[in-house]
Amino acid sequence: MPKCIIDGREVEFTPGQNLIEAAKGAGIDIPLFCYHPGLSVVAQCRMCAVEIEKMPKLQTACSTLAAEGMVVKTKSQKTVENQKSVMEFLLANHPLDCPICDKSGECDLQDNSYKHGSAYSRTTEERRTYLDLDMGPVIKKNMNRCIHCTRCIRFGSEIAEIREMVALKRGNNTEITTIDGRPLETDYAGNYADICPTGSLTIKDFRFKKRVWFLEKVPTVCEGCSKGCNMEIHQDNNQIYRCVPRENKEINHYWLCDEGRFNFHYVEREDRLLDPARTKTSGLEVCDWASSIDLAKAALAGKNIAILVGSDLTQEEAAAVLQFKEQHYSQASIYHFGTPGILSTRDDAPEDRILKRKSKTANLNGLEKLGIRGFSKLSADVTGLLIIRGGRATLPADIDGVEKVGIGVFMKDQALMFSVILPGLSFAEKDGTILNYEGREQRIRRALQPPGQAKGLSEILMMWANRKTSHGAA
Amino acid sequence: MLLKKKKGFLQELYLIEIIKGLMITMKNMLFAPKVTIQFPEERRNYSDRYRGMHYLKATNGVENCTACMLCPTVCPAECIHIEAGERPDKEKYPVKFEIDLLRCCFCGMCEEACPKDAIKLSNIYEMSTTYREVYDKQFLLEQRGNK
Ligand code: SF4
Ligand code: SF4
Ligand code: SF4
Ligand code: SF4
Ligand code: FES
Repeated sequence: MPKCIIDGREVEFTPGQNLIEAAKGAGIDIPLFCYHPGLSVVAQCRMCAVEIEKMPKLQTACSTLAAEGMVVKTKSQKTVENQKSVMEFLLANHPLDCPICDKSGECDLQDNSYKHGSAYSRTTEERRTYLDLDMGPVIKKNMNRCIHCTRCIRFGSEIAEIREMVALKRGNNTEITTIDGRPLETDYAGNYADICPTGSLTIKDFRFKKRVWFLEKVPTVCEGCSKGCNMEIHQDNNQIYRCVPRENKEINHYWLCDEGRFNFHYVEREDRLLDPARTKTSGLEVCDWASSIDLAKAALAGKNIAILVGSDLTQEEAAAVLQFKEQHYSQASIYHFGTPGILSTRDDAPEDRILKRKSKTANLNGLEKLGIRGFSKLSADVTGLLIIRGGRATLPADIDGVEKVGIGVFMKDQALMFSVILPGLSFAEKDGTILNYEGREQRIRRALQPPGQAKGLSEILMMWANRKTSHGAA
Repeated sequence: MLLKKKKGFLQELYLIEIIKGLMITMKNMLFAPKVTIQFPEERRNYSDRYRGMHYLKATNGVENCTACMLCPTVCPAECIHIEAGERPDKEKYPVKFEIDLLRCCFCGMCEEACPKDAIKLSNIYEMSTTYREVYDKQFLLEQRGNK
């Protein structure tokens, strides 16, 4: 591999890498604002300028490719002086908003100011301010904090494939806004907040909920569709505050769609059923685990049973269900369900040209690999249904008229169609493996403790198998 | 080897020594200035920098605090609980602001961390109650100590 010299160290790089990436490979951080590895390079902010031997002026590291034998100085006096003046320039119009700014704690401007700026301001002039603008349900805009790096504009046109952010006017009056002040339309709007290096674009859903430094970050995989985008769950005190994309160059790069980003809310919904329960004509009645398992067994005893598993289960859970079926309900048929109209991976196709796919559950491919077929219609001889799902799979329609037992995450109104419900875990509360549409195995990780009385699926099946009842295990 | 000095009879009695000692006691008891006070009728004035019960400052009737969460971040006893919200006249304000004084160690770091000069420690030191108390925002705004 070719080598260049950065700060006196020999650094290997792959041809075509710019100086920022080459330096990062050697653990040297060059401060930057406008460069983002997932977007085109515009070299606008000048923060990354470094001194290169035999070049008369400073060069922007983001737009300069590393070359054999190049000698780069990222800490020389000239470089540092430039960083100081760029910081002063950017902060000349920046409000002192950090105490109320949601970006604070993960803000590039804050970090770079701390590391490379001056602690004192020389300006006395009034600061430039912009009018507020509603940008739709996802993003809260505050342009007073904008440093005009144009990352958002580039994200729109290059990744989200919709030109909705623009820069109006020139020079000091430049204003980043949406075309005609319209609300954002893309399904990927959350990423605007992730890539914005300041607090100009922040997520409304997360607004003022938590300071970011309190959050514990759990790496996991999104269960929103069969793409399997990598993401992080940010939780504190057993509550999820947000989900953000986790870099994976093979799958989602740096992005996440809004559906996947905000999917976690069902986990903490008020009306989620957290206790074993049975339905009576008067409504739901909470039971204890032992008696509700007896009731569930009794409800299915002597019936011709079909087992429906949601394609939001993990491989481990699905394997446990298959084993359970072999041992206790070997006559039963087993099918998977998840997205209306998607019966197998053949029906699963990209929904747009970015990330989203048509199967709205994460493990369709995995269940198919285990030999489970898609559920299309209730056959006439089935008299009992055991429905097992996580929280994401859409319950199949037209399953009325048979006895039903549900295991998994159900909201209270959904629960009414079952005779017995045994509460299970959602994707944020369990560990496991899922296979995405290409067959890539990925781990989902537990971020929360099981809520209420909910239990893991293998534990529920074990209790079911081990409990002797007067009806006799089927 | 220690040489014991032979003592006379009067000295063996220790009476003179006892009387000498008592005279010092009497002198201090009757004539020296007192160091204790008659609490609670009398009270001491503490320095302005004394770190006692907290209060929240307000300017023109609006609380200074913007719910930046720096005080709960720095607090070593984790006794400050704040929930932030938004209202028309103030972009970010504390909807809830509670201090559990029983856990507080009165280090004063919250006051030091605050960028808005909002949380202060007053010189109120009588904080014992007969029930466990978590002071809420309203109380902290109203209680001003000697300020
Ligand atoms: S954008 Fe960054 S520097 Fe500016 S107010 Fe927000 S946290 Fe502070
Ligand atoms: S809004 Fe954010 S991403 Fe867009 S130009 Fe301003 S600072 Fe950059
Ligand atoms: S004085 Fe110290 S312990 Fe008490 S609330 Fe303030 S920071 Fe916490
Ligand atoms: S540090 Fe000051 S402004 Fe920030 S939350 Fe505490 S009292 Fe409020
Ligand atoms: S990061 Fe290189 S100029 Fe902005």
